[in-house]
Amino acid sequence: MPRILLIEDNELNRDMLSRRLQRKGYEVLIAVDGQRGVAMAQSEVPDLILMDMSLPVIDGWEATRRLKAAGETKHIPVIALTAHAMSTDRDKAMEAGCDDYDTKPIELPRLLGKMEALIGGGEKTSDSEEGA
Amino acid sequence: MNQKPFVDDIETYAQDIVDTVREPLLMLDTSLRVQSANRAFYETFHVSPEETEDQLIYELGNGQWDIPDLRTLLEDVIPTSSVFNDFELEHSFPRIGRRVMLLNGRKLRAGSHSAIIVLAMEDVTERRRSEADLRAIETYAQDIVDTVREPLLILDATLRVQSGNRAFYRTFRVSAEETENHLIYELGNGQWDIPALRTLLEDIVPKSSVFNDFELEHDFPELGRRVMLLNARMLQAGHHGELVVLAMEDVTERRRAEEEVAKAKEASELANQTKSLFLANMSHELRTPLNAIVGYSEMLQEEAVERELDSFSEDLGKINASGKHLLALINDILDLSKIEAGKMELFLESFDLNTLIDEVAATIQPMVERNSNKLHIDRAADLGGMRADQVKVRQALFNLLSNAAKFTHEGSITLNAERERMDEADWIVFRVTDTGIGLTPEKIVKLFQDFTQADASTTRKFGGTGLGLALTRRFCQMMGGDVTLRSVPGKGSTFTIKLPAIVTEERAEPGGDGAAVSPDVISALDRSTDPHPEPSTCVLVIDDDPSQRDLMKRFLSKDGFCVRSAGSGEEGLRVAREIVPIAITLDVMMPDMDGWAVLEALKADAALREIPVIMLSMVDDPDRGFTLGAADYVTKPVNRRRLSKILKRHSCANPPCPILVVEDDAATRASMRNMLERLGCRVSEAENGEAALAMMQRERPSLIFLDLMMPVMDGFTFAEQVRIHLEWRTIPIVVVTAADLTSEERRRLNGYVGTILKKAGCTKEELLNQVREALDNCAAPRLVAV
Repeated sequence: MPRILLIEDNELNRDMLSRRLQRKGYEVLIAVDGQRGVAMAQSEVPDLILMDMSLPVIDGWEATRRLKAAGETKHIPVIALTAHAMSTDRDKAMEAGCDDYDTKPIELPRLLGKMEALIGGGEKTSDSEEGA
Repeated sequence: MNQKPFVDDIETYAQDIVDTVREPLLMLDTSLRVQSANRAFYETFHVSPEETEDQLIYELGNGQWDIPDLRTLLEDVIPTSSVFNDFELEHSFPRIGRRVMLLNGRKLRAGSHSAIIVLAMEDVTERRRSEADLRAIETYAQDIVDTVREPLLILDATLRVQSGNRAFYRTFRVSAEETENHLIYELGNGQWDIPALRTLLEDIVPKSSVFNDFELEHDFPELGRRVMLLNARMLQAGHHGELVVLAMEDVTERRRAEEEVAKAKEASELANQTKSLFLANMSHELRTPLNAIVGYSEMLQEEAVERELDSFSEDLGKINASGKHLLALINDILDLSKIEAGKMELFLESFDLNTLIDEVAATIQPMVERNSNKLHIDRAADLGGMRADQVKVRQALFNLLSNAAKFTHEGSITLNAERERMDEADWIVFRVTDTGIGLTPEKIVKLFQDFTQADASTTRKFGGTGLGLALTRRFCQMMGGDVTLRSVPGKGSTFTIKLPAIVTEERAEPGGDGAAVSPDVISALDRSTDPHPEPSTCVLVIDDDPSQRDLMKRFLSKDGFCVRSAGSGEEGLRVAREIVPIAITLDVMMPDMDGWAVLEALKADAALREIPVIMLSMVDDPDRGFTLGAADYVTKPVNRRRLSKILKRHSCANPPCPILVVEDDAATRASMRNMLERLGCRVSEAENGEAALAMMQRERPSLIFLDLMMPVMDGFTFAEQVRIHLEWRTIPIVVVTAADLTSEERRRLNGYVGTILKKAGCTKEELLNQVREALDNCAAPRLVAV
């Protein structure tokens, strides 16, 4: 079961996305700010990180830079979650080292597609694990 | 005895002196009789010694010296004081007119002679006159100086005040007494003792005689802090010597106003920034709860479907859809405000077009089905990918498709995508065609105008759709492309998006650019961007000067014409053959092939002969143009109104050109209109010949249906009038008549009209067929008959 680290400060978004991902068969870890997110990524080494960009303490761009600079976390794909059509945010996200981005509001099928492209399917993986 | 000759000598000597004096002199005895006079006297008063000597002075020349003042002098002043000096006498002398004389009198006693009175008169008339003139001039100058509303000081070379004008005294609340003859620096407790002014007056003025607009800010004791604009001139003023005129303009208020404007501008810019920031923040604030609504409703819906709670699922779907709609609106508003603020940016990436189209099609499918429409996707095999802002391309396509879906019922919507090579670059062309209600040409223009005005009020008026179209257009323009629209009322519309296959940053137009805010309305109709050859509806501008071409394009576009241009005669002929424009404007002076040669070539080509050509020239030589077959002649610089008027007479701005029905009976007119509109024609109506002529001035019809018996101006006269106008000579006229024509009537119409239709005695079907035939014969190629 792929482990996803969701770093998101907004409680509703966090709750919603984590529940939907869990239903799709992902294990979801939660962090509520950039600093804790980086710490958790280092301790838990998830398969993929969903990173909100406007985070307290340290923001998503800085958090991504730190993750991509550290040997133990730099291989973890990061998908930036940015506000609608803010191309500067997206550019900044890609510059900071994000592997992909998706815009909020989250359209789950689209996000899942991007996640699958980076780490392979959630449900599929879990199916195959269950099958194994 | 010796003494006598000596005395005689003296007397002669005295007489000689008297005669040499250039002032008239009279010698009177004490009884006031003239003893003698000098030559000057006789010459001045045009009299002889005979009529003068031994006469009483008052009797001289018919009493012309009998002047009360003179009497007083001679009879009262002289006897008591023996002398009077410089008595000024103004008097009308019969022989020499009105004179001013300066009189000097002396009573002399000359040896043995009895006392005589010498009366010397100096004619000072001229002197007084020039003095008066001078005074008048000075007064005049002073009046001017006083009239000037700016305070003025006149200084002499030592910087002492000669005078000030009224404005000066009033402004600085000082009197002439405390000002005149004072050094300027002493004025008003030294309030003018300003170092900068010293430099100006002492260094600059002596060297350069002038300084302009020196701005001086100073605390004046009486006035407070003022900003004065000083101007000085050094003048040579005749006997006054060198003068310095110092003019001071109080610009305190003006500067204050300017500062306020600058402050207001700054404030509004700040407000604008604040607004942008507010919008950005606000949109985030609005989106956050909306995200929750959309997300949770979607989640619940998924769950409801899983648990087979159908009624819940349906309602949750509605919440979800409304949430998404609201989100889309917020996004559109934000995008537009970003474009307005010049903050919209492009995010260029390479992406696959087939994937994009599949995604868009999947998204739009439910909307298409809502009005029972069918969606057809038609894409070229070589479509491949493009580099552009994917989100914006997607949004543009989605907007056009959702628009088509909204205005079409039980019809079809086609998305066509292909790759085209133009100007050595690849372009991606999307066409969204619907079979919906369509738009009239007027509405198309209006639609595009409304695009440009998409502000808050437009938003309220048009809702999401208006903004969607506006955004689509702006997005496409940002990427170096555009949206064009072709529409036929009742038949449907085609929106065409054309984008460079590889959008580059340089190509991308900044969203807030002024040019983009007011896009060339008609460029949207410009067939030059359309690769599909269709009957042309454009005016062709042939001119070798690119700026002139651009100008003409702007001119004509503003008046609703679609414009194609060519930079040389050869190119012009090629384009003319290709598009068959509705009219051509032709520059006379061009290298290689000049306008005259082009005109000849046009008139020699059967396919182009009928196109009205308007010659544009620096030289006024219309005869040559008309001889060669030009429809009209305009001199440069081109007057836009005039050109537009001419073009409208020769063509129409919103092709297809209308068919004009001239008929006094409203019912017949209506049925003709009905019939023609069903054949796909645009129709205009006039109730008599005169109204029809007026209408034709505004818009050239492609064909005229003409009734003969009408009030005001009948059909015969109308047909004659039409044929008198060169530019209308080629418009076919079809006479529709109720009765057989007499031979006389036929003769009157001979050569004027092409076809004669008989209303009476034939069925509607037959009439319809005849009309159709007339259309085919006369105008079919020019009508987009659909």
